[in-house]
Amino acid sequence: MKKKKICMVGDFSVGKTSLTQKFVNNVFSDKYLTTVGVKIDTVEVMDTKLVVWDVAGRDSLSPINASYLVGAAGVILVADGTRKSTVEGLHEIWDTVAGRIGEVPCVVALNKADLDDWNVDEGKINDFKNRGWSVFESSAKDGIAVEALFNALVEKL
Amino acid sequence: MNQLDELRDIIVGDSSEQLAELKERIENVEQRTSDVAEVLSPAIDKEVRSGNPTLAIALQKPVSLGLKRAIRSEPEEYAEILYPVMAPSIRRAIAQAISSMMVTINRTIESATTVQGLSLRYQSLRSGIPYGELALRKSLLYRVEHVYLIHRDTGMAIESVHGDDKNLLDTDAIGAMFSAIQSFVQESFSQDDSGRLTDLKVGDQNVWVAHGPKAMLACVIRGEAPVSLKRELYDTLDAVRTGFGNAIVDFDGDCSAFDGVDELLQPLLLSELKDNLTANSKGSSSKNQSWGPLILGFFCLAMALYFAFQFFINSSKVSTVEHFLRETPGVATTALYWSDGKLVVEGLQDPDAVIPYETLKSYDIHQEDLEFNMIPFRSLELDMELQRFRTELSLPRGVYLSVRNNKIELYGKSPLRWLLENDVRIRQLAADRRLSIAELSPSLVSVSDILISSFPRDILRTLSMSEVVRDERTVLEIGGQMDAVNLALLQAMFAGNRWVMVTASAR
Repeated sequence: MKKKKICMVGDFSVGKTSLTQKFVNNVFSDKYLTTVGVKIDTVEVMDTKLVVWDVAGRDSLSPINASYLVGAAGVILVADGTRKSTVEGLHEIWDTVAGRIGEVPCVVALNKADLDDWNVDEGKINDFKNRGWSVFESSAKDGIAVEALFNALVEKL
Repeated sequence: MNQLDELRDIIVGDSSEQLAELKERIENVEQRTSDVAEVLSPAIDKEVRSGNPTLAIALQKPVSLGLKRAIRSEPEEYAEILYPVMAPSIRRAIAQAISSMMVTINRTIESATTVQGLSLRYQSLRSGIPYGELALRKSLLYRVEHVYLIHRDTGMAIESVHGDDKNLLDTDAIGAMFSAIQSFVQESFSQDDSGRLTDLKVGDQNVWVAHGPKAMLACVIRGEAPVSLKRELYDTLDAVRTGFGNAIVDFDGDCSAFDGVDELLQPLLLSELKDNLTANSKGSSSKNQSWGPLILGFFCLAMALYFAFQFFINSSKVSTVEHFLRETPGVATTALYWSDGKLVVEGLQDPDAVIPYETLKSYDIHQEDLEFNMIPFRSLELDMELQRFRTELSLPRGVYLSVRNNKIELYGKSPLRWLLENDVRIRQLAADRRLSIAELSPSLVSVSDILISSFPRDILRTLSMSEVVRDERTVLEIGGQMDAVNLALLQAMFAGNRWVMVTASAR
């Protein structure tokens, strides 16, 4: 079985950890996110074993630790569909990713699709799609599109 | 011969005969077989010498199939052929296994009977860690438990080997997390990219890391390993780079290119026993040193067994005595205990109760082993009452005591004299409802004897005797007719007698 490193990146509190929590094999405690800044999980998707690096979210004080991205075969960009700034911030995050590891396969998760105050422009989604990224409106709470998200990334790897 | 044949003869001459001969050799199977047999052996020999593996590869399958078929068809013959080769190896392996088992047993006994062994057992009980694991930890100077070959960029574990496969976490997650910590430490504490995490210490475990440009080798060590192990780590990493350099550079998550790398990592799973323990398992002189604790251990064990046996014997004696005294009428025990080597029995005892010493003797419990501190009491148990009445009343022939319907009955035909002698006591017992006398009556013979001695025969002929029930008792009734004088005499004889009633009348 092939093994691939992938990274989950996005702003702080967009639901990266929640998104994967029920899908992956939780090996380590969540406390590593706040201490080391990354949490490692593994999951088998189709014929590939993914080593998922859940990188601590970006906020106004601390940028994404790009050293954790090295060696990643693909990334999942995660944004909060109810917070416009996190969706718009994905371009900047992508620039960090591409600057460090190149233009690796990527899928976008617009998370918290179960909430009523959804605030994502169709234009923004099209913008993502034009870059060749698959876009999923996901919900960590209801488990919507979580598996599809990983499947789509594995197909691109 | 036509012109064409002539021309052929001119050109090829005698060759036509040779061609015919060749044709014959090719078409004749027997001849061809002989030809091949002639060259086969030198051909094989030449091929083997040339080092070309083609022949070996070509022969591999047919030889293997042929061998299998031959062994299946003649297993006994092959067993006989292989016996001289296999038997010594098997013997050696068995001897080694037995020897190893003896050493293990020896160590187990040794460790189980020493203070340290008992302490380890206690720790094992308290912590839940198996005793063997604890004992090994104590006896080890160090042990390499896990070795991970990690791809530097992706942090993925290319290969890992483990000395103990219990409680293993996902090796890829471990490798990745280790790589993450490596990046974290490097970024947090190192001024440049050259600084790398080479040592980690967690409790009694150490993690040592050898770094290469594209891969790193991490090993988890329990205890204190010698510094020379680091050199071995780097040597191993070099060997991996030499053998799998391209595979490491091209690594994209597919580990199939690393077949055999585990054989390079396996020798790193080293361990070393502490000096004294190593000596214990090898040196004969130190074997003698282990006799002391061993003998002490056996002595303690023997003492413990002796006391356990004594406790068991004493407990069973108490149970036996308690059981038989409970079955003894007129005895009620309240406490049984050992004091100064004697079994003390406390309780109540009827003076007429008989302690079953003989029965207890058959259980190796002697009268002198027992001490009775009993308070006397009168038992109303039926068995006791029965025994008491038998002693007190001295029953004559024809009179019996028995228990019927949970009540003691005195019944039968009694001599009138005995009835009169015991009349007061019998009536008293009957009044107390301790005795039933409904079927007790004087015997005809005893009353007749009195009458015969007092009256002439012709008068006796006029009398009759019969048993009648009066006031729930059986009495003897004397009826008939007689003259007034004898009647008065008869009535006087039995006046006040509750057992004989005179109903005879005057003529």
